[in-house]
Amino acid sequence: MAEVTFPLPDLGEGLISARVLEWLVAEGDWVERNAPLVELETTKSAVEIPSPQSGRVARLHVAEDAELEVGESLVTFTVSDDQAGIVGAVPEERKPQRRVRLTLPED
Amino acid sequence: MPELSLQKALNLALQHACEDDDRVLIFGEDVGTLGGVFRVTDGLRAKFGEDRVFDTPLAESAIMGMAVGLAMHGWRPVPEIQFDGFSYPAVDQIVNQMARMHYRSRGVLNMPITLRLPSFGGIRAPEHHSESLEALFAHVPGLKVVSPSTPSEGYHLLRQAIADPDPVIFLEPKPRYWQRESFDPTEPVEVLPPGTSRVVREGKHATLVAWGAMVARCKQVAELAAEDGVELEVLDLRWLKPIDTDGLAASVAKTRRAVVVHEAPLTAGLGGEVSALVTERCFGDLRAPVQRVTGYDVPVPSGELEDQYLPSVDRILTAVQTTLEYRRG
Repeated sequence: MAEVTFPLPDLGEGLISARVLEWLVAEGDWVERNAPLVELETTKSAVEIPSPQSGRVARLHVAEDAELEVGESLVTFTVSDDQAGIVGAVPEERKPQRRVRLTLPED
Repeated sequence: MPELSLQKALNLALQHACEDDDRVLIFGEDVGTLGGVFRVTDGLRAKFGEDRVFDTPLAESAIMGMAVGLAMHGWRPVPEIQFDGFSYPAVDQIVNQMARMHYRSRGVLNMPITLRLPSFGGIRAPEHHSESLEALFAHVPGLKVVSPSTPSEGYHLLRQAIADPDPVIFLEPKPRYWQRESFDPTEPVEVLPPGTSRVVREGKHATLVAWGAMVARCKQVAELAAEDGVELEVLDLRWLKPIDTDGLAASVAKTRRAVVVHEAPLTAGLGGEVSALVTERCFGDLRAPVQRVTGYDVPVPSGELEDQYLPSVDRILTAVQTTLEYRRG
């Protein structure tokens, strides 16, 4: 198993911090990618952030009502090792299929 | 003995390098807080602090320019560029600055930089994420190029690369990141010196020469060939610059046939260099021309088309059969 920690993303508009209004998941929950994760309030608006990863929530780094800066740890997921990566898919380990047979030369 | 993935073995190598030498610095996009796109730098910022493991802006030329400046002042930078295809914006810094600084300063300045570069295809990634740049970098005087094929190789080669006074391009085979192996880095083992290849499977009928991710495929091919009574030797080149010409020649002199396998396109690929070296050293021993099995001469395709592009088991077997059947006219 591996742990993946996500920081507070840059929510745009030049904002440098946000306040956690409400966690929509709890530690120990299984979360699918893109499912609602947390509601944040910035000086401009309240936004719901979707989960960037499917996995089990290992740690919520910030309590509700607390403020954190962009780049600070927001949430840590436990993911299986073969999921730990952001781009692409883990290649399947399977027995290779073959069509070509070999024959040794006679000499 | 614990099972370690390549990803974790590289992480340990970085951790031990940081512990052993205060001058080692790790930086790149998302290597700090996130721990790297493939988790290779996971936890290192927490262990060594933001001064030694830090995130950079999305600017590859700046990452490598900074590495050159830091190396000039005595640091040992280990920058990461997230994906092979993203290193092109940094080619000026790599080729014009990093590679020639030692030469340009008449040996006064060393460039002990290890550029970590997740490389090769096989994870069905989008465009620019699956290139094979070994020939490009191997062609540049002043650079060393290395690619591991297993967790233990990854650990030891990365330690050697970081210890090297010269700039090393370290090509991590990303489809192998999740490969696990019984491996304990604290156990004393025989570590081959820099610049050497490794015979990973002994054989007598032909040598398959490969590096990085293709070593695993060649091992599969050798297992299939064994079912047909053909014993293939698999040589993991490991160091792509300098190439272990003696190791290469020794293996081919024994088997008398060679097939070079790589993911990069055929034309001007490193397989051409390997083939020329084999021909120069083993012309009298060879019973067939050296065969090459490579990616096609097209831009690396993205997604599932990668599967068609990469050298397949059947393409390699066909090349083997071609060398076995060859008769002088």
